Amino acid sequence: MGIYCVAHHICSPIGATSQANFEAIMDGKSALRLHSDRFELVEPFCVSLFDEPKSFTQWCILSIEQALQQTQIDPTSQRVIFVISTTKGDNLQLSEPAMQIQAHFRNPNLPIVVSNACTSGVCAQITAMRLIESGACDTAIVVGCDVQTPFIVSGFQALKALSQQLCKPFDKQRDGLNLGEAVATMIYTNQKPDKLCWQLVAGSICNDANHISAPSRTAEGSFRCLQEILPYAEQIDMISTHGTGTLYNDAMEAVAIHRAGLDEVPIGALKGFYGHTMGAAGVLETIISMLCLEHKIIPAARGYEENGVEYPLNLSPKNRDLDHEPHDLIKMLSGFGGVNAAILLRYVNE
Amino acid sequence: MEELIKTLKQQIIEALNLEGLTVDDIDTDAPLFGEGLGLDSIDALELIVLLDKHYGIKFTDAKTGKAVFQSVRAIAEYVQAHRTK
Amino acid sequence: MNENQQDIIITPQQVLLNGQSLPTTETGEALLTELYKRFVGDYPKFYKMDTLCRLGFIGSELLLQAEKSERFLVKNDRMIIFANKSASIKNDTDYLQTIQADNYYPSPALFVYTLPNIVTGEIAIRNNYRAESSFYVLQDEQTLQKLAQTTLQSVQTAHSALVGWVECESKDNFYAHIKIVWKN
Repeated sequence: MGIYCVAHHICSPIGATSQANFEAIMDGKSALRLHSDRFELVEPFCVSLFDEPKSFTQWCILSIEQALQQTQIDPTSQRVIFVISTTKGDNLQLSEPAMQIQAHFRNPNLPIVVSNACTSGVCAQITAMRLIESGACDTAIVVGCDVQTPFIVSGFQALKALSQQLCKPFDKQRDGLNLGEAVATMIYTNQKPDKLCWQLVAGSICNDANHISAPSRTAEGSFRCLQEILPYAEQIDMISTHGTGTLYNDAMEAVAIHRAGLDEVPIGALKGFYGHTMGAAGVLETIISMLCLEHKIIPAARGYEENGVEYPLNLSPKNRDLDHEPHDLIKMLSGFGGVNAAILLRYVNE
Repeated sequence: MEELIKTLKQQIIEALNLEGLTVDDIDTDAPLFGEGLGLDSIDALELIVLLDKHYGIKFTDAKTGKAVFQSVRAIAEYVQAHRTK
Repeated sequence: MNENQQDIIITPQQVLLNGQSLPTTETGEALLTELYKRFVGDYPKFYKMDTLCRLGFIGSELLLQAEKSERFLVKNDRMIIFANKSASIKNDTDYLQTIQADNYYPSPALFVYTLPNIVTGEIAIRNNYRAESSFYVLQDEQTLQKLAQTTLQSVQTAHSALVGWVECESKDNFYAHIKIVWKN
């Protein structure tokens, strides 16, 4: 049985649809700005924020509605499950907003919230795949979202993890991440549509068993994730990395990619456009990566100029053309708690 | 100075939850990180907060902190020179 | 090696290991410290953990001590699948206290625990579990058990999972039910 993405939607500070976001990326746009008066915090910080103040729950509902409109799927069906990816939900509540989303769509199944730190968006897709494969449902609606709050920003500031400039994934001068807001939805089903589409082929989640906040220097978990999905890969056209712009995350990912023998594969790094959108990141970045490959483009790694990792990766600060039809895409993420996740998607016809 | 060293040790034990340790267990001149107390990167950040909270000393990045956190004596000397409260 | 009951329940008042009540004297968070001192004792990182992690950690310790010498060998085939309903709310509340306008000293050590999946990381580190670690926020424990079964069946490299419902709303209000589930 195959698991296929039949619809997707993104709303971010640079676009209100997936297509608008793709176009903004092609144009090199970003909403990352240095704010010095936001949230009444002492230290300024660079962040990508929505113009419109909506709650987490409202963003999720909006995005799911937009994705559902592209399909004939009936969300009130017993065969549909919601899988929600978030770290801080609606003002620290995760369970209640999930129930509100489920109630809004009059869905009969209890929603599943994946809260696996920064890897949640990829883990949620893996959960969706398992639910469909096991027969628990035919359709899984995956939505990823986080909105920024003084809580989150102050915490990352305390960890000295934020850059006060635009983040520079994998660059020599990188000095931290930027935070961001976004919501993104992917609808997965076991029914292959009669057109080219993306199939979720494999996924893996592995723990470093090393430290709760520092990435493993040997990239243990991240490497093992790649190792577990590689047997399913045919022709990998891009690895969409986590690429946060912190010293240790990017160094770790380069080690993982090198250990997996994937140094030559073109690398995607999207945080220079969006910042780190936390619970949304895995969903948002998967969709953008899919769209770029569909248009035969490896997107620019915005913010990257000069290699700053031990094993140089195949990165470029400019958009690049792919000279063949796209086939396989890898999306990888890592997060606090030592958790790493990776998925393999394939662009399929019949 | 000796009084400040003692106070700092007490504050470190509290801030870093070094349960079971007493002021006498911490060697004034021994390295704080690596071996010894088994402190890690989060502890270093928590020490930065400690110095801000109790002595009004602000570090903008973690690197400066690491240079100062060689030993309790090194911290005490830095505090004496830079404290604003 | 499956049918024997391998589970633990911890509430602020009592501990049930494999169905047997353990005699204890303390209650609430002090009970967790009592258990740590009696049954572990040599892992000072325990004192750095928030209550949710202490709960999950001590529960897994008591449960896994039966595995004796095999315990700390690197395991690539045991997953950790945990869930609750209230995420990291107890520690979130503690962190919020450090960012009050009139007393603003955000604590990095508290902030790292404002993610519920950190408890799975602590257990993975302690036991050298390098397989999957996942945390879900769910409405009930039954949904977790179903999800754990689904996960065990779908991950080829996994043979067992530590499955835990770990709820912690305050230092006096928590509940853990952790068990070892083997693949059929």
